[in-house]
Amino acid sequence: MVLVLALGDLHIPHRASDLPPKFKSMLVPGKIQHIICTGNLSIKEVHDYLKTVCPDLHIARGEYDEEIRYPETKTLTIGQFKLGVCHGHQVIPWGDLDSLAMLQRQLDVDILVTGHTHQFTAYKHEAGVVINPGSATGSYSSITYDVNPSFVLMDIDGLRVVVYVYELIDGEVKVDKIDFKKTTGSNT
Amino acid sequence: MVKKGVPDWLNSSLWSSPQPPSSNDVVESHEPPASADVKSAVVESIVEPPVPLPPPSVTRPVEPPSSSVHSSTATSVKGEIRDPLSSHNGNNYGNTNFNNYNSEEENGISNNSSTTSIPSVGANTGAVVAPAASSLAEDISSQAQLLQELSRKIINMGELRRIASQGIPDGAGIRSTVWKLLLGYLPPDRALWPSELAKKRSQYMHFKEELLMNPSDITRKLENLSLENSEPDGESKGFLSRSEIIHGEHPLSLGKSSVWNQFFQDTEIIEQIDRDVKRTHPDMHFFSGDSTVAKSNQEALKNILIVFAKLNPGIRYVQGMNEILAPLFYVFKNDPSEENAVSAEADTFFCFVELLSGFRDNFVQQLDNSVVGIRATITRLSQLLKEHDEELWRHLEITTKVNPQFYAFRWITLLLTQEFNFADSLHIWDTLLSDPDGPQDTLLRVCCAMLVIVRRRLLAGDFTSNLKLLQHYPSTNISHLLYVASKM
Repeated sequence: MVLVLALGDLHIPHRASDLPPKFKSMLVPGKIQHIICTGNLSIKEVHDYLKTVCPDLHIARGEYDEEIRYPETKTLTIGQFKLGVCHGHQVIPWGDLDSLAMLQRQLDVDILVTGHTHQFTAYKHEAGVVINPGSATGSYSSITYDVNPSFVLMDIDGLRVVVYVYELIDGEVKVDKIDFKKTTGSNT
Repeated sequence: MVKKGVPDWLNSSLWSSPQPPSSNDVVESHEPPASADVKSAVVESIVEPPVPLPPPSVTRPVEPPSSSVHSSTATSVKGEIRDPLSSHNGNNYGNTNFNNYNSEEENGISNNSSTTSIPSVGANTGAVVAPAASSLAEDISSQAQLLQELSRKIINMGELRRIASQGIPDGAGIRSTVWKLLLGYLPPDRALWPSELAKKRSQYMHFKEELLMNPSDITRKLENLSLENSEPDGESKGFLSRSEIIHGEHPLSLGKSSVWNQFFQDTEIIEQIDRDVKRTHPDMHFFSGDSTVAKSNQEALKNILIVFAKLNPGIRYVQGMNEILAPLFYVFKNDPSEENAVSAEADTFFCFVELLSGFRDNFVQQLDNSVVGIRATITRLSQLLKEHDEELWRHLEITTKVNPQFYAFRWITLLLTQEFNFADSLHIWDTLLSDPDGPQDTLLRVCCAMLVIVRRRLLAGDFTSNLKLLQHYPSTNISHLLYVASKM
């Protein structure tokens, strides 16, 4: 039962000043084992804050990140799953599911976490699952202004993943979940 | 029986430095195990510490101390059990009549501090210890006695307590069964044992399942109950459907009733339990080290403590409970009967609950200052010491200002498991558990005896040395200690 937080595109301080307080109150240290961040934090203070929530932090570089040394893509293994992170601005067309699927096959991961579009999506294809946690601060994107703050928490338990989607809609936190199982045997 | 001054027998050199028995003196005629009424006189030799006594509260005879021959009750003949782990062999004594001792309390055992006068079969003489010569035979006979008692259809608990108080042999899983009986886990009626055991063990399994489930599994269970089977299956492509969560249960939930929230709160306790379990008895292979046996034992200890903490939200887990748990688990797990060893965890859990029920108040912080709390208990110990040995009491508490809390706290809350080596503490527990009124009184008496035994050194010492001595209590002959305790 491993809890993995996926979030990104906070754009602090340029486009937003902070995470919504309701989100902040939920992100209490000690509960989450890993954080996967799609990028565009953008400053070091946000990095430090995320470190206090969980010391195991994986970040991919977004185009506005001030820290230039984050990698473009990153892969890690948690339990039975291989996860990959990439900010997504590199994949053109932005947010195109087929192109993301290509990236996923390149990285050879079961779950690919990307951002940049600031819209939550969860998409399944033969090679695996693509999850976009959206923007945790609800900042505007290159595409649209209409953004709800959102992030994703994954509960990885053996071969099964429960994805909890947290969205701030009209000032209230709404939580949904998505279940999926990995079929045994590696995806090639 | 309030003693104002130090009684003579206490002042005898016997008490201050118990020596391992060297030569064996008079072999007292010992009664065949199952015999009843002959009271054998016993003479104490200077080199041999005396035989342990029956538990003070149980079989103290009603007759006044100065009475002479009184008949023993049945089957009181038992030698001290040879503890294979113990370093000295002084624990083997002849079959003696223990009730004898009660009649000799005030009467100068010190009179017989020189060796081997064979006393008349009368009360006012000392006690003889049949030496270690025929120890093996005695062991077997005592074992046989216990076995005989245990094999009855309905076990006489009073009798069992009396026998048990003198020590239980280490072999053949006797201690395991006797402790279970003494703690009320097994009923005295043998016929009920299988059903009782089965019931309790399955109850424990049930507790474990319920309480040790992690929230993922719990939510999955809830789901399976409410939804039938709306799992999106095998589409190769497409957006994943979002579904509602049940009861607002999500991992970051801050709600009090949330399964996840409770889980995280319990995690702290679980971590503490884990740390303490890993530190339990690091010198014993059974508990510590990298072997799979040790790991599985630690796992079992953890589970028991976690289940206990969850079932008792008022007291949860307090450091030290692992120390009280360890001897119980050790004894039950080493039961030669396969069936018992496998279910040792369940058995230990219930016995632990039973044992702790008498001592719960020691662990609740709010009760520290109350009448039932640990402070009151320590005060009672202090009073007991004052009654028995005023000079020592005065010296300790007033002259050197050694507050009993500094040393007695650990003695009392951990039931002396930390003061002696493991084997000795098992032996002390035999006596503690066999007290029908609960171990509390006997415990205080043993603590008092511990103080009295080292009185010479205490009287000669100042605050620092006394405190050091009491916090690192020197190893001593256990039967000696128990004998002194029973005389109080």
